[in-house]
Amino acid sequence: MPVLLEMRGIRKRFGELQALDGVDLVVNEGEIHALVGENGAGKTTLMNILYGLYHPDAGTIRYRGREVRITGPRDAIALGIGMIHQHFMLVPPLTVAENVVLGDERGGPRLDTRAIEQRVRALEERFGIVVEPGARIEDIPLGLQQRVEILKVLYRGSELLIFDEPTAVLTPQEVDELFVIVRQLRAEGKTLILITHKLREVLAVTDRITVLRQGHNAAQLVTKDTNAREIAQAMVGRELKELRARQAVGTSLPILKISRLEALSDRGTPALRGVDLVVREGEILGVAGVGGNGQSELAQCILGLRPVTEGTITVGATDITRDPPKRTRARGVAYVPEDRRAEGLVLPFTVADNFILGKQDHAPYARRGILERDAIKRDGDRLAKEFDVRPPNANAIVGTLSGGNQQKVVLGREISESPKLIVISQPTRGLDIAATEYVHERLLEQRARSCGILLISSELDEIRALSDRIAVMFEGRIVTTLDAADATEERLGLLMAGHEEAATTA
Amino acid sequence: MELLLGAGVIAATLRLATPIAFAALGGVITERSGVTNIALEGCMLVGAFFGILAADKTGNPALAVVIGLLAGTALAAIHAVASVTWRADQIVTGMALNILALGVTSYLNYEIYGSGVPSGVQLLPALSLDFLAGVPFVGGVIGRQNVLVWLALVLVIVLQLYLFRTVAGLRLRAVGEHPRAADTVGIDVRRTRYWAVLASGAIAALGGVYLTVADTGSFTDGLTNGRGFIGLAAMIFGRWTPLGAAAAALIFGYGDALSVSLQGAAIGELRFPVQLLSTIPYLLTILAVAGFVGRSRAPAADGIPYESEGH
Amino acid sequence: MPIVSVLAALFAGAILILVSGSDPIRGYLALIRGAFGSPYNITETLVIAVPLTLAGISVAVAFRTGLFNIGAQGQLLVGALAAGWTGAQFSDLPGILLLPLTLVSAVLAGGAWGAIAGWLKAARGVNEVITTIMQNYTVVFVMHWLLQNGPMTAPNAAGTPASSPIGAGAILPIIIPNEIVPLSRLHAGVLLAIAAVVVFWFLMWRTSLGYELRAVGLGARAAAQAGIDPRRRMVLVMFIAGGFAGLAGMIQVSGLFHRVFDGFSAGFGFDAIAVALLGKNSPIGITLAAILFAAFARGGTIMQADAGVSSHLVEVVEATVLLVIAAEAIVRALAVRRGTPAEAIA
Repeated sequence: MPVLLEMRGIRKRFGELQALDGVDLVVNEGEIHALVGENGAGKTTLMNILYGLYHPDAGTIRYRGREVRITGPRDAIALGIGMIHQHFMLVPPLTVAENVVLGDERGGPRLDTRAIEQRVRALEERFGIVVEPGARIEDIPLGLQQRVEILKVLYRGSELLIFDEPTAVLTPQEVDELFVIVRQLRAEGKTLILITHKLREVLAVTDRITVLRQGHNAAQLVTKDTNAREIAQAMVGRELKELRARQAVGTSLPILKISRLEALSDRGTPALRGVDLVVREGEILGVAGVGGNGQSELAQCILGLRPVTEGTITVGATDITRDPPKRTRARGVAYVPEDRRAEGLVLPFTVADNFILGKQDHAPYARRGILERDAIKRDGDRLAKEFDVRPPNANAIVGTLSGGNQQKVVLGREISESPKLIVISQPTRGLDIAATEYVHERLLEQRARSCGILLISSELDEIRALSDRIAVMFEGRIVTTLDAADATEERLGLLMAGHEEAATTA
Repeated sequence: MELLLGAGVIAATLRLATPIAFAALGGVITERSGVTNIALEGCMLVGAFFGILAADKTGNPALAVVIGLLAGTALAAIHAVASVTWRADQIVTGMALNILALGVTSYLNYEIYGSGVPSGVQLLPALSLDFLAGVPFVGGVIGRQNVLVWLALVLVIVLQLYLFRTVAGLRLRAVGEHPRAADTVGIDVRRTRYWAVLASGAIAALGGVYLTVADTGSFTDGLTNGRGFIGLAAMIFGRWTPLGAAAAALIFGYGDALSVSLQGAAIGELRFPVQLLSTIPYLLTILAVAGFVGRSRAPAADGIPYESEGH
Repeated sequence: MPIVSVLAALFAGAILILVSGSDPIRGYLALIRGAFGSPYNITETLVIAVPLTLAGISVAVAFRTGLFNIGAQGQLLVGALAAGWTGAQFSDLPGILLLPLTLVSAVLAGGAWGAIAGWLKAARGVNEVITTIMQNYTVVFVMHWLLQNGPMTAPNAAGTPASSPIGAGAILPIIIPNEIVPLSRLHAGVLLAIAAVVVFWFLMWRTSLGYELRAVGLGARAAAQAGIDPRRRMVLVMFIAGGFAGLAGMIQVSGLFHRVFDGFSAGFGFDAIAVALLGKNSPIGITLAAILFAAFARGGTIMQADAGVSSHLVEVVEATVLLVIAAEAIVRALAVRRGTPAEAIA
């Protein structure tokens, strides 16, 4: 098979982050190629460059042997490259047919609905993709909406189709139906690139695999010659770090118990499909997994920021499933959200004011509804020093602090009241080494105090360094919970990519 | 009964609904593209003033219509630049333009006419349908309506067809619902919105032109008196479609007509509270947006400035 | 920055004056004289500044919580109607009872009117801009009815429809006696306004509630996860905002006109928005902005009488101020945006 696409030496930097550092990708005509890696590996960035949404800092792209420059989606479309986005670009009140032809209607100024629907139906027949052309997008389920995205791309004559995490929003049956379509497309001579982190898909439909890791090429594999283990190792492989020996602390009494938890995402799809987990006093339970498998929703449900459709959440002896955030926090639950700037802090407020967020209506920071400025200032200074905020100025506007110091403010606020349970999500995202170490130290301190910690992180290093037990989350469920000692990189990598094991431990 | 449904009342309904309908139609166009245009009131006002000014100075009512229309477009242009290019807050800009329109028209009115009014201005004629002279009821209702009333009617149909039966209309609606999706298929979101806002200014201005060049023949400060906002209410109540907005305008116009027709009426000793009739459009609109009267949903991207993806 | 917008607006106004053939220098001098040129003029400016400050606070309180209160005008009128009714209904009561009663009725009425918009937003997600605009017009027409041929119509009223005069006990006394400033209309409402500014400041920056409101306005998601429920706050904030505007209405009745009439205090609500924005929603800023706009309004009438420049120029200047403020917010936002790195990685 001739080579269709050659991307060589692609480099892309975003501010401080080198997202891609000399990455190569070679795709043959007529094949289904998997582009695999964890969060932050660079897969979506690479494809966004191919589709013209970003410009590379260095590197070349050759399409059908000719070097090309792709300055925007129009160029990509003109070359015959089409992208099926993870978040669909469909206009809800318009029909399927209208969405397919939008922008390229081919006819007179009059909107000939019948002709358009006819054209779309012909396209559907050719590729074996079925969805009612006259139906409105807002009325059809996400699986069918994805087909409309595919039709859009085919309508514009795409030869190379890029699928960005195509099964993220699909049910298992819809995934199988998608595989049928994908094979049909290949039979029709199309070339496909699948961006994914799920091994099942890779092994089921692809021909060749390019694995990226932290902006570099990690492996180039042929699907029928490889296996799940090899792929996972390439995705995740690092030198094994020395694990610190840790003593077990505290009783084995559970502080947090979650049973059969179900909840919907913002888009209305099931985000949690029956989560079971237990966090004990004095234990850190790490929730590992690639982002987007329900971790955010899990944290939000515990705090009462997202409605629970099924199941229960218990803290100590109390059922907090339907409790609003205020009451949950009153039970001794602390929360460090994954987006500290948007969710953890009020950026225009001072450091001191952020320290009292959530505590502004009771002693010692308020008496009878009036703020006790002295107490606020005093504790602000104290906490800023205690939590190593630099500079230790409680009057500084929090928005001006660096990421690491902002996170210390959040930590200070949440930890200073000796909580019973800490829910902490992506704690060291965007932080430098020093700040990361600081955060880890404080967490271990809390653990030693018999606090239970639910640590959600997509950084495997972090999970393995801190956790006593590790629960792997995939597609809205806890796949397996392991003791830290049993959690090798390889095993975790497989589990995170959806590979199922024979036995599970609770 | 004559007071409620007589030919006179219905004829008045059409007359009173017309400026509202123009404003509402303007609103539909801009909001369907995703821009909130609260400045319709101001566009009406400048249309009214510059229309009658032009009619007075040139003696040509048709030309006056064009001038009034251009004045509304000019005001809308400011809103377009502020909202689409600068991505300013559309409410603040809209309100500022309303005050600006009020100030400029009142100011110029004083400078040019002092406290008097232009006299002997040739107004837009009515369309006399003499063949309907003998027909009961219908003859009374549509037999002698101003040309602008007929224009409004035509415009309703034209815009309805435009929005839902043309490719351009489809693209406009896409821009108003999901601008990023439209952007990714190559539709120029900014240009579409620009045109929509300018068009809305022109259409709303026609409503103002009607008030002066077709109806009263003179301008007073703040003549529009909130009709631009009633137009917005009609747009919301009419679910952002031209036909719906027109129907709502008729309902509101009927309420207006009733409040005139029932002016002297009495229930026993008490005079009928005709002023309260005038609150109905506003109350209905609140009920509509609150979802108590069916679902009234604005275009999804309405009022949200659009930023294209960075590189 | 606000100074820039004012200067730009004055410049634009000068152009307009030139274009229509008058002398901008003479016009503006007359404006300044009319606003501050004599003790009497100063009191007249303050008479306008007082309700404007209160209305500005009404808008600002809502802004701070992330809500757009366009309904200050309607809330002001509701307060005025309540004050007019109470003052007339109980006109025999002595001042020590009647004045507070009038005040409370106005604040509660305005507050309730505002709370409706807050409730609709919290419970049904209705955009408060639409609700409050519709409410404004509703009040105007209800007021027409009340004063023209309804329960509040004054008997034997000739000329403008109006309500019965309020009792002597409900009148806010003139504060600067006529011996010092002849014909002065400046009443004790100015003290109420000053008190209101202090209350505003204290509420927003010294109470738990104020903290919560500001947190919701500046970081709604962070506030929510910390346990502050934004929707409950919405109703309360609109009540407070309506209360301030209602107080403005009461002051107009009790201090100035002693009754309500058709066309009462028109335009304060919209000016209040400009005042709040120009004053950056802060107590001192609002006070200064209110004085400035009051100066425009007062000076404008003199400018027309003395220099022949239509007082409507003032509206042109005000509108330009608003436009420049709106534009300036973008400039600042654009500057901030240039520093942020792209989000979508991986």
